[in-house]
Amino acid sequence: MIDELDRRTDLASDLTRRARAAGVGLIWRAQARRTSRVLVQSGRAEETGVSTASGHGVQVVTPEGYTALGSRDDFDPGAAANLLDRVIGIAAHGPDLGLTRVPAASSEALRARDVPEGLEAFERLDLEAARNRLIDLEREIASRVEGVTLRLAFGTDLDGWRVVRDDGTDVTFAMPRCTMRMTASNEGSGDRHSVGASVSGPLPDLPWNDATVAKFLERALAAARLATRLPDAPNHPSGSFPILMDYALAKGLAHEAFGHASEADGFRSSILAKDGKFRAGDRVGPAHVSVIDEPVRGDHAFQPFSANGVRRRRATIVDHGHLKDALTDAWTSASAGTSLTGAERAESFRSAPLPRMTNIRIEVDAPIPAPGAFEDYGPEEVRELLASAGIFRRHPEVVFLSGYSGGQVNTVTGDFVFNCKSIYRLGHSGATLYKPAIFSGSMFGALGAIREAFGPLALDAIGTCGKWGQSVPSSGGSHWFVFLEPEPSVRLGGR
Amino acid sequence: MATDRFVEALEASGARAWSIYTTSFRRLSLGTKDRESGNPHAPFSVSEGLAAAYKVVWADGRVSRGSLERRQIELEVDDALRQARSAAIDDPDGAFVPEPSEIPDVAIHAPETAAIAAGEVEPIAERLAFIRKVVVERGLRTWSGSISASEGLGRIVTSTGMDASGKGTTFGWSAVLDGELGAGRALRVPESRELFKSRVFRIVDTVLKLREPAASLAGGLQRVLLHPDVVEEYVLGTLFSNLDGATVAHAEGAFRKEQFGSGDPVLREDLGLTIDPWKPLGPGSYRFSTEGVPSKPTTLIDRGRLVTPILDLKYGRRLGMAPTAHALSMEAVAFTAASEVPYEEAEREAVALILSVLGVHTQDTASGDFSLSAPQAWSRKGGRVKATISGNLFALLRDPGTTLVRFEDETTPGLLVTCRIDPR
Repeated sequence: MIDELDRRTDLASDLTRRARAAGVGLIWRAQARRTSRVLVQSGRAEETGVSTASGHGVQVVTPEGYTALGSRDDFDPGAAANLLDRVIGIAAHGPDLGLTRVPAASSEALRARDVPEGLEAFERLDLEAARNRLIDLEREIASRVEGVTLRLAFGTDLDGWRVVRDDGTDVTFAMPRCTMRMTASNEGSGDRHSVGASVSGPLPDLPWNDATVAKFLERALAAARLATRLPDAPNHPSGSFPILMDYALAKGLAHEAFGHASEADGFRSSILAKDGKFRAGDRVGPAHVSVIDEPVRGDHAFQPFSANGVRRRRATIVDHGHLKDALTDAWTSASAGTSLTGAERAESFRSAPLPRMTNIRIEVDAPIPAPGAFEDYGPEEVRELLASAGIFRRHPEVVFLSGYSGGQVNTVTGDFVFNCKSIYRLGHSGATLYKPAIFSGSMFGALGAIREAFGPLALDAIGTCGKWGQSVPSSGGSHWFVFLEPEPSVRLGGR
Repeated sequence: MATDRFVEALEASGARAWSIYTTSFRRLSLGTKDRESGNPHAPFSVSEGLAAAYKVVWADGRVSRGSLERRQIELEVDDALRQARSAAIDDPDGAFVPEPSEIPDVAIHAPETAAIAAGEVEPIAERLAFIRKVVVERGLRTWSGSISASEGLGRIVTSTGMDASGKGTTFGWSAVLDGELGAGRALRVPESRELFKSRVFRIVDTVLKLREPAASLAGGLQRVLLHPDVVEEYVLGTLFSNLDGATVAHAEGAFRKEQFGSGDPVLREDLGLTIDPWKPLGPGSYRFSTEGVPSKPTTLIDRGRLVTPILDLKYGRRLGMAPTAHALSMEAVAFTAASEVPYEEAEREAVALILSVLGVHTQDTASGDFSLSAPQAWSRKGGRVKATISGNLFALLRDPGTTLVRFEDETTPGLLVTCRIDPR
């Protein structure tokens, strides 16, 4: 599939020459993507499909500083030339429409390639075998947890890009990602609840990889059991509490509360910027807490280069309590007053690249060790971990939020929310299950409330991040568990 | 026509039945981020595309469904068919292609929108200039949004002899002010200048009100007014999620298949929910589905009783019911009750007007339990409040005290409900 992009050198050269002749700058983005999906329910395949998408986008910048973007879903040279001419034509409307003049982009020319080995596995994927494997896994889960309706899905996504700029930049990269997901809904006549579980990996061997399948089954069985118990669980009262969250929720906190607000395309209104500049150096949290975003090879959201052909770099958004790096692109790093981190990502060749997160995490200095593996920790084991750390001497009861189910933020006001799959109240007397409730508040209040963390870093919490009409994979995490002191500006919903 | 080569290949493949829906489009759009129109993150853009959705019932009865890109439709037909064949499954409920039937004549194309999609920028310039002027004059800090126009041509061809095509257009605009609240519409044709301006003025006034000093609010079980935007996003969104045919067939949602047509009310007995895809130039109007099913008005809920899920051919057959209309836009949806009250009356009763909520996509739609952050809410006493609202949607929709509220220029009603509100 990547050869589809490799074959377009002549087209890229022709368009570059044509753009130069017209006196405009050019960024050319070509994408070739192949996805497949298998969905199994009640012992049979409900959906199986393979789809491909390919095409290119041409973005021009006129000498006056106006930019415009055009896209078309083929690589036909004649159609591409016409498209470029049309884009140059609409950019000329800049003065009539009062369009913004863009600053000169600040990035060095780069020629690079990052295409992992083993991608032929995507082409060789046997969908029939994948269906049968999912049916087996569904049967196994159903045999161990009664009273649930199950849905299992396996998806593969090989997303290849080539970015060529008129300054000589020519970057090709591929982002392979695969997921296996399960949703369990309780049966019965009462309220229904759905709980999900997932695993991810870079190659389509997930359903046959013993270690991955073992992890998937552990997570899926826990989720299915939870689905059967939630209908009888009470609602947790609302308010501010001492809170323990698992690493998936901590990823949600990092992503919603700090990641989005550090994306430089929003710096004319973000709460982490002033007068368009990132508030680098400002204290926003305690000295033992950092928030870091960086590409992690093999990760669900891995992207080695930006959609403008810039190498993606680590961004320490919060460095021991102080703002440091923003998520910037070549258009914004200078005006934001921070270094270029090559953070721009695009969902499709039709999209304008935007500064986005990749793998974001909260790191806490001197985490308290936690033995074993994360999957070993049910609510009772978590309670014992807190007891051994002396947390109950400070707080007789702790509210434990488990499992991430999405979030949202307003970067202007700093308000964020995210939701969990379940709530446990942990104390000397045991662990009591409650229905999930939204966790909301002020980003500064939440970060400032972080006190301890338990266990090593786990960075495989995956999701999909939506912004400005584009969806891209996201991931991240934290230490296995993160503890927050009660904070009035951070509340649990409840009823 | 782009489809012809694929149709020839399907006919030669020995497939038992097939359908292919092709759509070609062109689109022009312009974004604004924080008062900067056409910047690199929200550029002036044009796009062209061709895609198809197909269903093939092979000679052995197995079924393939999927999508095709331009290259496959125009150049790589044989490879595309091989790819489709590799994804075939046993799917007896899906092995059905409709017979030709009368396609309703619904107006969904507007020449003025097509002209904008082709590059006529005057109507965009005029609306953009108006928003900018109001933002400056009323002292707003910033705004973000977009204006776009597109024109598409859809064609359905089936092995049973259906061959229908038609053009459609979409014009959309949105504007979020001060990062707080937004307005916007997606239509077939640009709305009148007067309507457009009144919408902009209304949202500006609302955002400016939010700047007033914060008010105190007593928490607990209270009368709360949900703005139509909240009703569309959360209330109707949750209902539609649970009315989805696949969700019902797989027993994954709140509604069970035996409840449909049973006559037992699941919601309050005066509530109704319908889809009308025949409104002339309605944003939710269409003539035929991607499967070749002609559109028709559909009643989903009548007097609190479940009438039908939202069904395509496959899940219609599985549930033994006819395929239904799909809601392409909330403007095609009517959520009704025996009576409604005007906004002014509801405002006097509610402790707070909830203008927007965060976290809708994080809710468990099956349970109907909700716990939503409302950072933009307005207290009856005057002043902004930030709060969390929580409760159970289905309980609210069975509650005799829940009242539908008519808001000016809104097709969806607001809802006056009794739920828990916790200020923060």
